[in-house]
Amino acid sequence: MTMMHFHLTFLLLFPLAGAVSMICCLPMGGRPLPRRVGETIACGASAGAFVMAGLAMWTMGDEPFRKVFWQWMAGPEFSSEIAILYDPLAAVMALMVTFVAALIHIYSVPFMRQESDYLRYFFLLNLFVFCMLTIVLADDLLFLFLGWEGVGLCSYGLIGYWYRDPANCLAGRKAFLLTRIGDAALLIAIAIFFSHLGTLSLTAINQQAVDLAPGLITLAGLLLLFAAMAKSAQMPLQVWLPDAMAGPTPVSALIHAATMVTAGVYLLMRFLPLLSLSPGVMLAAALVGAVTALLGAAAALTQRDIKRLLAWSTISQVGFMFLGLGAGSLAGSMFHLLVHGFCKSLLFLGAGCIIRLLRDEHDIFRMGRSLRLRHPPLFAAFAIGVVALAGLPPWAGFFSKGEILAAVFYHPGPGYRLLWFMALLAALLTAFYAFRLLLLVFFGAPPPDADEKRDPVFEPLPALMPALLWPLALLALAGGLLNCPLAMPGGHWLSGYLGTAPAPPGGEGSISDWGLLGLDGLIALVGLGLAWFCHGPADRLGWRLAAAPESTAHAVLRNGYGLDSFYRLLVARPYQAMAGFLWKRVDEKLVDDSLTGAGRSLLTTGRLLGLWTTGRLTTALQSLLWGAAAIFGLLLLGIWRALP
Amino acid sequence: MIVPFGHVLILATLLFLLGACCVVARRELLMILIGVEIMLNGAALAFVAAALRWQLADGQIFALFIIAVAAAEVAVGLALIVAARQRTGAMHGDDFNRLRG
Repeated sequence: MTMMHFHLTFLLLFPLAGAVSMICCLPMGGRPLPRRVGETIACGASAGAFVMAGLAMWTMGDEPFRKVFWQWMAGPEFSSEIAILYDPLAAVMALMVTFVAALIHIYSVPFMRQESDYLRYFFLLNLFVFCMLTIVLADDLLFLFLGWEGVGLCSYGLIGYWYRDPANCLAGRKAFLLTRIGDAALLIAIAIFFSHLGTLSLTAINQQAVDLAPGLITLAGLLLLFAAMAKSAQMPLQVWLPDAMAGPTPVSALIHAATMVTAGVYLLMRFLPLLSLSPGVMLAAALVGAVTALLGAAAALTQRDIKRLLAWSTISQVGFMFLGLGAGSLAGSMFHLLVHGFCKSLLFLGAGCIIRLLRDEHDIFRMGRSLRLRHPPLFAAFAIGVVALAGLPPWAGFFSKGEILAAVFYHPGPGYRLLWFMALLAALLTAFYAFRLLLLVFFGAPPPDADEKRDPVFEPLPALMPALLWPLALLALAGGLLNCPLAMPGGHWLSGYLGTAPAPPGGEGSISDWGLLGLDGLIALVGLGLAWFCHGPADRLGWRLAAAPESTAHAVLRNGYGLDSFYRLLVARPYQAMAGFLWKRVDEKLVDDSLTGAGRSLLTTGRLLGLWTTGRLTTALQSLLWGAAAIFGLLLLGIWRALP
Repeated sequence: MIVPFGHVLILATLLFLLGACCVVARRELLMILIGVEIMLNGAALAFVAAALRWQLADGQIFALFIIAVAAAEVAVGLALIVAARQRTGAMHGDDFNRLRG
């Protein structure tokens, strides 16, 4: 066993063992693990996975590492293996996933202190990390599909963690069902690959993709894109993500911001050699990304619930990743994925602190400046996240978004200029809603119905929770160094590491390059100015009041463009009607009633026949005699017939 | 054979039917048993007549068997009737209806 093999095995085994040890003691002893033990196992498992991911990255050679653990299924023309493919892309992703997961596990310890059902929570969280790493590492598509379904399952369980409230369960079910739609597309794509290439290995598929017919590549690419859209909550399948905020805040940070929703983008990255053979698919991905980025940012602009705002922001930012990928910029998309993972989990964890401080208050109009005055470190960390998200120049989001925008700008394909313009607008809106969030949460006046003089009494906050924001804040601050476009030592590290072309066609440091960067920075500053004008402490427009302007456009944006009611009308209602028909008419009336009727007629027959068994001797003797008479009569008849 | 074979068969049939009517019509256990005896004797008469008609001994042997069986049946039947009478005090056939379904 090489070092590499060892590290990767344990990278997968740590979270799995954590999850298994969490539940296996339940049926055996009947007594759940003590809280301290459960927390330690869960945090240790995810921290161990992080260490293993780091070591694996450290020991990785030049070649991608492919390892078959064992053969899962084998047939004459079919085989599936539990196999992993560890290349630079997987290395970076695994490191990010395990890092964020470890931090969020630790954050969950004080967050879930009051919950009695801590084992279920940590079990699902550990299982999620395992399934996510399966997606990240898997080489075999069926193995990948297991992880793909597994993260959906854990997401379902964690959204509905507080299952006593039916709304949470509904949100979980919605997320599960909507992502299942994409899973079906993924399964079809897998079947296409198998039937035409005879293999399920990612490496082999990417190598042999050139032999496929162009139409088939486009079809498979579109199916993969659709699967990714459902998992990554892209328009028009994004409706599940804002509702998924019903889960505990650390879960929203880990699953619904940093990792699971980016699994769709990651899947497309893994298939990039195949997808890039079809310009149509790439354009479709870029189009979906640009539209989602723009519409998501516009919807985020009107949200009042802090978590829903962040969810719409996630939708929009993942749209940027799709756009970057559609422009063929693997490094840019991955860069943005990493930066977004850090700054969005930072924002969610910060939001968790704020919500805890304000006793479960989600409305950003009901927070206020006392939050900033009383908790300056929390404010500082949150502000770093906001600024990184908005893409203000020296912070990470500026570089990652800039790289995507540059890649789209320089892309030779038709229509990309329009997409670039849409993305630019989305970036402006991003800066606008990000600073709006910051200004309303930390600079706002106290709610009008509260007493102006008295500071609100804050709930006590465990010191560990805000402290854990700082590693993420540091990465959100300095993450730009990962792939800094400037000509400096260490610049373009990520591009080089992923083995993609380091410089966009404009040439490094050329005038237009600097111009694009300057434009991005300017856009962010304009967004800041707009936010300051509309929601600044001066409150020029009078929007500070809780009774903020509420036009039809506002309502449309806040409710996600009416897609929810559209799906309800188009899918849910007919489905319910059909299910009601099948239930009331077909099942109850037809099937049940006919079975009941058959049973009832049998019962009646039996009862009538039962009248015969009087148990009296005479009845038996009479029956015997009549029976004998019938038999003899038949015999006589036979003899009569036989006579000539 | 002095008597024609057909006549004997008619007599045997009459005996059998009379016995059967007795079995069905009477309710007392003793009379039912007597009815069964008459039916058996009707059958035995048919056997004897057939043995004479075809000059074979088999029918007569069967008649002897039937007499033996009838004797055994009467012995067992009477013993059962006595036992049932002692136990329940009833002699009426329809009083015994515990086999009712």
